[in-house]
Amino acid sequence: MDIESLIENVLNALTAGVTIGCIYGLMCIGLGLIFGIMKVVNFAQGELLMLGMFASLYLVTGGGILAFLGPNIGPFVGALLAGPIVFVVGALIHKFLISRVSGLKTAGSIDDGHFGQLIVTLGISLILQNGGMIVFGSTPFTVRTPLSSSAIEVAVGYGDATVFLNKAKLIACAIAIASALALYLVMEFTRIGKALRAAADNPTAATYMGIDVDKYYRMAFGMGCGITAIAGGLMATYLSFGPFVGFDYVIIMYSGVVLGGIGSIMGAFWGGLTVGFVQQFSALLLPPQLQNAMIFIVFLLIVLLRPQGLFGRSAERA
Amino acid sequence: MLEVSNLSVSYGGLRALTDVTLTVAEGQFVTVVGPNGAGKTTLFKTISGVVKPSAGKISFLGKDLATISAAQRAHLGIAHVPEGRQVFKTLTVRENLEMGAYPEAGRAKWTHTIDRIHTLFPILAERAQQLAGTLSGGEQQMVAIGRGLACAPRLLMLDEPSMGLAPAVTDTIFERVQQIHKEDGVTILLVEQRVAEALELSDHGYVLETGRVVLDGPYETLLADDRVRKSYLGLT
Repeated sequence: MDIESLIENVLNALTAGVTIGCIYGLMCIGLGLIFGIMKVVNFAQGELLMLGMFASLYLVTGGGILAFLGPNIGPFVGALLAGPIVFVVGALIHKFLISRVSGLKTAGSIDDGHFGQLIVTLGISLILQNGGMIVFGSTPFTVRTPLSSSAIEVAVGYGDATVFLNKAKLIACAIAIASALALYLVMEFTRIGKALRAAADNPTAATYMGIDVDKYYRMAFGMGCGITAIAGGLMATYLSFGPFVGFDYVIIMYSGVVLGGIGSIMGAFWGGLTVGFVQQFSALLLPPQLQNAMIFIVFLLIVLLRPQGLFGRSAERA
Repeated sequence: MLEVSNLSVSYGGLRALTDVTLTVAEGQFVTVVGPNGAGKTTLFKTISGVVKPSAGKISFLGKDLATISAAQRAHLGIAHVPEGRQVFKTLTVRENLEMGAYPEAGRAKWTHTIDRIHTLFPILAERAQQLAGTLSGGEQQMVAIGRGLACAPRLLMLDEPSMGLAPAVTDTIFERVQQIHKEDGVTILLVEQRVAEALELSDHGYVLETGRVVLDGPYETLLADDRVRKSYLGLT
């Protein structure tokens, strides 16, 4: 391999890593939010990603509601709208299922409700996968946009080396960053965000303050689902997917959240970014089948060197 | 203002409170004393609504609390400063106080109360941007009391504010509680192990032992009682 193509390959992996990584980051925030606030390990998060993809698909092509926006804008608006739709789905799942095994009801019980949550979320995951199979069928879908097959070419200035920036991924990446930033601002500076953090920190004390903890947990669960769904909608523009797509990504989500530091919501974004980056970069050296193995090698290294995660912090007085 | 009548609480068959009757009138300073395990904290948790009574009635400002959820009770003006402080460790001092002002009454008076809290506890203004979990025990207790005050409460319930604090810090805390009572006219219900100091501050005291009220009366009556003198004050 000559230097010119080496530079080209490295830079292309770099940009692909950052763009895909930002979308993974957003996806991870959804899981991180649910875990960080409710301490519920949600095994069904991959299926909420899948629901986001299908919500976007039906908005853009199936129902054709967004057809008037055209193939360039429609898919991205569809991705954003998948958020509120899956938020409602998530809130309902919480109301009828999750709330029975979490929150103040199980606080202080022997396992804090974790056994129940494990079974319930695994069950939801199976139902959504197989329900998706019945409703959507097994043919792979994509939310087609001509942007995913066109790229901005940037000359590097070394021979003919060129960096290709896929337009669909670039827009998806920008939307992912904007959504993550918006969530950060809400969590940090609004009354709702602070009440969510208070309810996460100490639910009993939050109740003494007049904060309706179960209501805020429902909101957190819905938001976590909605955010992952937006990431799903964005991924649907460059990826073909079916009802079982969630399984591949739930693993990435867990590694991202653990890498970022469990409980740190923005850490989840950086964790997801790291995972995306490693995955794309390892493509340079390894066959595609081993990309996910590389994620876990890096994952193990980081967990060994920084057990609290990249951005995990402790507020306890030393 | 607060009327607890014939209240009983059980934890899975274990009796924590039996037939407790207690009254706090508007503007009063009432103290509940008693040994560990007497049910003092349970009494507070039941008034706040996080523990459900098995019998009896609690009413606040004439309203029966039975159908009012725990979170809703704070909005009526009951502030609970819990045992062991329970500050939001991952939130800043300022955010802790803001969360205290979550009920509407607290938000309406926020600019006034935050000044008042900073006057009572100047250190909280200095540490406003610090995470509450990084504060010392005494400072955390100040955050907890400040957080209670921030909702502009009608009734401030303090559960062992002296727990685990150095004597000098405890003196400051007691002084501030008295100020809150006298200057801000907040009704106080206090649970304490430091019996002598606590009773000295109060208009009326209750002695709780193994879940029952064994004695109650004004400061002078309790002080004259032999049992109180022997068991709690170490006097003969």
